[in-house]
Amino acid sequence: MSAGRQLLPLLADLSQRLALSLDLEETLRQVVALIADSMHAETASVFLREPNGELVCRACSGPVDIRGLRLPRGHGIVGRTVETGLCQIVRDARLDPDFAGRPIESSTGFVTRTMLCAPLLTAEGPFGALQVLNKADGALFDDEDCDVLRLLAAPTALALNRARLAENVLEQNRIRRELGMARRLQRSLLPPRRRGGYPVLALNLPAREISGDFYDFFDLADGRIAFALGDVAGKGLDAAFLMVRCASLLRWAGKEGLPPGAWLARVNDELREAIPPGMFVCAVAGYFDPALQQVVWASAGFPPLLRIDAAGCSTQFPAEGPPLGILHGMNFPEQRTDLAGAALYLFSDGVTDVRDRAGRTLEVAGIESALIDLHERPPEARLRGLVRQLRRLRVTDDTTLMLIQGASCGAQRLLEHRFPARPEALAQMRHRVADALAISGAGSDDRQALVLAVDEAASNIIRHAYRGPCDADIVLRIERDAGELRFELLDDAPCIDPDCVKPRDLADCRPGGLGVTIIDSLMDEWCIGPRPCGGNRLWMRKRIRG
Amino acid sequence: MHKHCTTETEGEYRVVRLGGEVDLSWSQEVRRAVLDALAASSKVAVNLAGVSYIDSSGIAALVEGFQQARSRGQSFVLVECSAPVLAVLKLARLDKVFALRDRLE
Repeated sequence: MSAGRQLLPLLADLSQRLALSLDLEETLRQVVALIADSMHAETASVFLREPNGELVCRACSGPVDIRGLRLPRGHGIVGRTVETGLCQIVRDARLDPDFAGRPIESSTGFVTRTMLCAPLLTAEGPFGALQVLNKADGALFDDEDCDVLRLLAAPTALALNRARLAENVLEQNRIRRELGMARRLQRSLLPPRRRGGYPVLALNLPAREISGDFYDFFDLADGRIAFALGDVAGKGLDAAFLMVRCASLLRWAGKEGLPPGAWLARVNDELREAIPPGMFVCAVAGYFDPALQQVVWASAGFPPLLRIDAAGCSTQFPAEGPPLGILHGMNFPEQRTDLAGAALYLFSDGVTDVRDRAGRTLEVAGIESALIDLHERPPEARLRGLVRQLRRLRVTDDTTLMLIQGASCGAQRLLEHRFPARPEALAQMRHRVADALAISGAGSDDRQALVLAVDEAASNIIRHAYRGPCDADIVLRIERDAGELRFELLDDAPCIDPDCVKPRDLADCRPGGLGVTIIDSLMDEWCIGPRPCGGNRLWMRKRIRG
Repeated sequence: MHKHCTTETEGEYRVVRLGGEVDLSWSQEVRRAVLDALAASSKVAVNLAGVSYIDSSGIAALVEGFQQARSRGQSFVLVECSAPVLAVLKLARLDKVFALRDRLE
């Protein structure tokens, strides 16, 4: 009866404390004290269920501090309360078969006689219990006590649930933030897109936040382009870390310009040292030579490479080596193909595993036929078209694609540039030449020398053929053919006598006349002569490969 | 670096600092600056750290300065030659002719 009179103010007080609580543990301590006091019980405690099903005491008030006490799932009267979701009134705990307090009794001397236990309930079911022990004066807990405890349990459950949900949200946010960072790190390792007709195009579409796929490409000093793709077996952070490691190893080993088989062998041995058991990496690594229009590579268990030419004919190149990271000292045979008039496609198995509505996987044949359908479009449009088709299907894994575009067969025009015969126009001419040479396959030293040679040639035309700056034009053409670059400069000036254009003896240190000497020493061959319609033609060639 | 050509006194030297791409469009300006410096001081240095490109007309301006200095017993050095400058000097076999220094002091 006395409990009933104090009930409303008690309930109001308790609800308010719980609602305002910033420190839930501290508030729970106050709440159990309040409950014990108002119900005239010797002790009161709160038990919560852990993810593994164990029950832990999170707060208690009374002569014995049992905070941290753990009960296996379903044990004790508390366990029974949580399992059944029903209030338990116990007249004599020692007679109850579920009573689990005997160890406490023997170690602390505290005897449990009467007990009342109410579940803490949410929509998902019980997640803990409120327990009060030993009603004062040896009395028994009755149904009214039971109702009171259930009433007190309600706001307690609410507050605890809210706190737990808030904790979950924080945890999820933390995980999302960390994955987001890992994702940004991974993306930062991918090389930026290169514009202006660069022959390598690639993209990576991760299925989840972090990817086990990667691609890489970079220029070598000798004018070749190195490329690599990788696909880590497994998912999650482990796979992501392995991906980062493998990508770094591939780039490090690739910069040395080792033959592809040796390149992969080195990475394989390094990975083998410390790869987690059960993990491996499928990879491909190689070089494209824009000067000779050839690709050479080695494949470690990667899906077949596809070569599709301008006529839409396709060739498949299956992998000839095992995945990386499994065994030491493996052999990765070198494979090669000519890419004049064709393109080479590399893709991870996330692409072949894409499924249609019937659940059938796309497979290599599916990609092949999609690419053949697209083969007449420009390279960027082909990749976009393929991605659009993939997106219409069900993508379950990371997809990584790379396209290496060969130039058309025969000689290729790299540049045609018309400019006025004025010194101010030389800077722009040089930059256009540098851009054209950047994807020609010429090495960086050669490129510097060629820009200088063309500049000297143009300067001489301005100074000597036109006898000074004027409004007439000069036309520059650059062509590439099988490892050789050819330069042509055409003017409309009076025909000059080729015999007058000669390199001079450098031992004679004079300020002038260096231009022709520079051209002579940089180029393999050059000549100047009159054009049939008037004007002069200066022609120079340099072999950049082989 | 952008095209620039400035002259200052640093210690005993008149220093001509060049930057940018030195080509036919302004090599006359360089020639003028070098000869003026030689007229103003018996020790001239040309700092080439900022030169991203130089052609034969730019080299010619330097050669002219070198020859004039030599004929008058003046000191003429090239300081902090950038890689492109060194490459062209080597091509013209002038890397052993000029006095090249890493820094003035």
